[in-house]
Amino acid sequence: MSYIEVEDLCKSFTVRRKREKGHFFREKTTVQALDSVAFSVGQGELVGYIGPNGAGKSTTVKILSGILTPSSGSVHVGGRVPWQDRKEHAQHIGVVFGQRTQLWWDVPILDSYLLLRDIYRLDEKAWKTRLDELTEKLQLGELLRTPLRQLSLGQRMRAELCGSLLHRPELLFLDEPTIGLDAVSKLSLRDFLREENRDHRTTILLTTHDMEDVAALCSRVMVLGHGKLLFDGQLTSLLAKYDRERVIEVSYEKETVLSGLPDGCAVTQTGSRYRVVYDPENVSTAWLLEYLQGAGSIRELTAQGQNIDQLIAQMYREMDL
Amino acid sequence: MRTKAYASIFRMNWKLELQYRGAVLGGIICQIVFGLILVSLYRALYAGRPQVMPIETVSTYVWLQQAFFRMILSSDSDLVGKIRTGDIAYDLVRPLSLYGYYYVRIIAQKSMGSLLRAVPMLVFALCLPRGWGIMAPVSPAAFVCFLLGLMIGLCCVSALENITMGITMRTLDPKGIQAMLNLLMMILSGNVLPLTLYPDAWQKVITALPYAQLLDAPIRLYTGTRPVTEAPGVLLLQAAWTVVLTGAGIALWKSNQRRLVIQGG
Repeated sequence: MSYIEVEDLCKSFTVRRKREKGHFFREKTTVQALDSVAFSVGQGELVGYIGPNGAGKSTTVKILSGILTPSSGSVHVGGRVPWQDRKEHAQHIGVVFGQRTQLWWDVPILDSYLLLRDIYRLDEKAWKTRLDELTEKLQLGELLRTPLRQLSLGQRMRAELCGSLLHRPELLFLDEPTIGLDAVSKLSLRDFLREENRDHRTTILLTTHDMEDVAALCSRVMVLGHGKLLFDGQLTSLLAKYDRERVIEVSYEKETVLSGLPDGCAVTQTGSRYRVVYDPENVSTAWLLEYLQGAGSIRELTAQGQNIDQLIAQMYREMDL
Repeated sequence: MRTKAYASIFRMNWKLELQYRGAVLGGIICQIVFGLILVSLYRALYAGRPQVMPIETVSTYVWLQQAFFRMILSSDSDLVGKIRTGDIAYDLVRPLSLYGYYYVRIIAQKSMGSLLRAVPMLVFALCLPRGWGIMAPVSPAAFVCFLLGLMIGLCCVSALENITMGITMRTLDPKGIQAMLNLLMMILSGNVLPLTLYPDAWQKVITALPYAQLLDAPIRLYTGTRPVTEAPGVLLLQAAWTVVLTGAGIALWKSNQRRLVIQGG
């Protein structure tokens, strides 16, 4: 049996909407946040969990962490049913939400860590060893005596990560951990997560909209849309499915006319600059280059693939999300 | 049981409560003014028509009520905010009972908050002339019973506040329910009019209610209105209400937890 086993998971919410007419009564509607979701994750896997806003990602994480009770379906994490054995389960998981803090706002972060030591009933020595390891890796040494509210966003994120890993959780949930971080902080955070996963075999479930995070960290991704699991597999094979189009940008010395391009080539023009999007399956790149050369005297030419965000946007469009 | 965890949470919240020194000073001034006004009022009443209860006892009652006002006042705006946004759910990722976590936190806030205010206020009241200020407890034994009663009252009022919070979780709007419960609290706890001044028949009913267990019961022991020989009965009634209210609160929070919806999540 895998570490996380999810079968036929459903969750619906009741939403009260204002009626078109009248202010007193409200209409009740049911929203299906999760619809028969099933997957399994092995111990030590690092999985990306993506999907547009409102797809049900956070709901899944909340159910897996024992906060929410599902409407139906079964979930086992390390043999536990999260919402039934909540306290026992909480002892084995760590949670980081990029947009809210889990530490105590007004006290130095060391005080929070001391409190966490008692909450998770950690042995003094084990706690100290782990704290030293994490403060070194996350460069928190200087900040331990600073109140959380006075830390910068990047520092706070590192402090949160340390707090969520002190009790050596088997499973770590990360919800948008790099949101709002600068490039340097992002890169070092990714390095840290990769090491944590490798050295401690911590299973990590990463929920994010930042596809760079997913590409850098996860080999496996799950795509959720409208509460349904739409894809579960290798990131490369997901991208290969949608990574068909190539882009050539070409600037001419003076304005020219590009006519007679075959179907499947989309051209946009800005002055003497042209952007040609095409599918190499349908239009041969060699032929296209020759054609562009023939159309006038070229000042500059660049060729590129689509970036990952564009691919995902295209995927969401094709999946009708 | 995670006694050590809850003890740490208590310590942390005690320390946090120490940070609001400005609020403490404001509270002390406000409560001293209230105390002076109320005592003048009762002195005026007594000048016209003396009551059975001596004026010294009434002024002592008023000052003790004012000194421990922070204890009965519901004030955890942080928790109310968390309930409104649904962020309270995130506290469930800790291996703790949600009720226990907030119960300990409220006790810490109330106890440190009232200690900080009560000590200077009682010193002030001790300096006032007889019949204006506070008199010494009737006996050392009565004082010990008073302290015990105060501690049970603290647990009782915290349990009561957790029930208010439990109801807030259902309505998501604290204003209506809190306004109503605060009114009941102010009147039935003896903060506005000492319960000792109500007609005897009324007192029989009012003193049996939970609100009388918070401050009225220990104050009666302090002033000797209830002699030390009756202390076990007084303390037992306090403890009984505390157990009942805590049990009801736990049941309410448990059922809330099952139907929990996270706002905006």
